Amino acid sequence: MTHSLHRRGTKENLARDYVLLCLPAVGINDKDHDPKLAEFLRICMKYNPLNIGAIQLGNMYSHKTEDVIKAAHGIVHAVFNSPKTVTAVLNDLKKADLGMSIVVSGIFENVDQALAEAGLKHHTANFSLGIWGKTEKLPSNEILEVTTMCGHALVAANLVKEMVKEVKAGRKTALDAGKLLAAQCACGIFNPERAAELITAMAKK
Amino acid sequence: MRIDPNVCIACEACVPYCPVGAIKMKDVAEIDQEMCVDCGVCRNSKVCPVDCIIFEVQPYPRDLRVTFSNPRTGHKATGIAGRGTEEMKTNDVTGRFKRGMVGLGLEFGRPGVSTTFRDLEKMSMALAKHGVEFEDKNPVTFLMVDKKTGKLKDEVLDQRVLSAIIECVLPIGKLKDVLATMKEVSKQIDTVFSVDCICKAEPDGSYPVKKILAEAGITPYINGKQNVGLGRPLAKEDK
Repeated sequence: MTHSLHRRGTKENLARDYVLLCLPAVGINDKDHDPKLAEFLRICMKYNPLNIGAIQLGNMYSHKTEDVIKAAHGIVHAVFNSPKTVTAVLNDLKKADLGMSIVVSGIFENVDQALAEAGLKHHTANFSLGIWGKTEKLPSNEILEVTTMCGHALVAANLVKEMVKEVKAGRKTALDAGKLLAAQCACGIFNPERAAELITAMAKK
Repeated sequence: MRIDPNVCIACEACVPYCPVGAIKMKDVAEIDQEMCVDCGVCRNSKVCPVDCIIFEVQPYPRDLRVTFSNPRTGHKATGIAGRGTEEMKTNDVTGRFKRGMVGLGLEFGRPGVSTTFRDLEKMSMALAKHGVEFEDKNPVTFLMVDKKTGKLKDEVLDQRVLSAIIECVLPIGKLKDVLATMKEVSKQIDTVFSVDCICKAEPDGSYPVKKILAEAGITPYINGKQNVGLGRPLAKEDK
C-alpha cells in the first residue's frame, strides 16, 4: 500500500505536490483511532487542501468534505501545494499530539526543509526505484505524470487523453478536468490542480 | 464487472474510464472478462446514464481480482484495505524496518498495466532463493504455498489484478545481489512493476541504502515518502 509513492514528474511540477497520510498501527495503537483521523482531516481543512480522502468512502470531489471526515477510518489523506503549508500543518499536528503515524510524500529535499522548519526529522524513507519490466506497455510520460497521482491506478490513461481532448475543444476547463479525474481516486491523494497544469500543457500541443 | 447488453445504449461513455482498457464497443459495450480486474472504476464513476454496469460477487479464485484491484475492499486475511500493508508508514510505532535491514516492495502491474500472478511468481521464486523474508501480513504472501520457495497456489496463477505487491525484508548487505536478480527476472515477464525501497534513517539522518543503490547504478526518484516520527508509542529501537 505505497500509493503515494512513484508520482512521476519534473522537479518543477512536483514542487507543488505534497501528500500527507495519517494512520494507526494495527494491533498497537488502533483502538478508538477514528476521532484522531477525523481531527487530522479537520486540521488539514484549515489550510485549504487540494484534496482530502478517507479510503472507505472516497474524496472531496466524489463526496462532501464533512462526509469524508465522518468516514475517517484506517487511513486518511490530504494534498497540499507548498512545503510552507506542510510545515504549518505539521506544527498543528505536533500540538494536537494525535499519536498516529504521519507520512509526508514529496520531493525529499523540500520535505526535509518543511520537517526542519517544524522541528521534526525523517524517521524512515521509502524511495522509488522506478518502473521495471516491459515498460513499452506504459503510456507516454506526460500521461503517467497525471495517472501516477492515483497510486492504485484508478485514473485511466484513456480518461486523461479524453480530458485533454475536452479541454482542447473548450468543452471543459482544465481544473474541471482535473477534478473529474480526482473523483476516480478512492484515497483522495490525486492533486487536481497539478493535473490541470499538466492537461493544459498537453492541450496546447 | 459486466455490462447488461439488454440495457446498454452504446453511448460509449464508460469506455475511457477503464484503467486497463477492458471495455470494448461491439453492438453495445462489452467487458473483456480476461482483461477485467474488477476494480469497479466503471461502475463507481457513475458515468453510465442507464446504470447497466454490474458487479457480481465472484467465487474463489476470481474474487482475488476485486480484493487486489479495488482499494475500497479489505483483504479478509490482513484486515487492511488495498494491496499492501502499513509497510514504513507506521515504522515509528511498529519498528518493522530496523537499521541494517532494507525493505523492498515490488508492485507488479503498477502503474495501470495489470498483472497475472504467474508473472509475479517468477519474481517471488527468484527472490526466495536469496533467503529474503516475505512480509507475513501482505496479501501476496497469503497466496504462497511455501514462503521458503515463493511458490504460489496453482489455482491463482492465471488471475489478473490491477496490481499486487511482493513485500520483503533483507539484510542491507544482500541488496546488490537481489537487485541484480530483479533485473534479470524483469526481462522474463509480460508486465511492469514499480519498485519501493525502504530504509530507516541513521541517527545522523543519513540513509545507508543510497550508497548501495549508487553502486548498483540506480538513482532513486527525487520524490518519495518519509515517516516523520510522530506516532506513539515509539518502537523499541527508538525509545
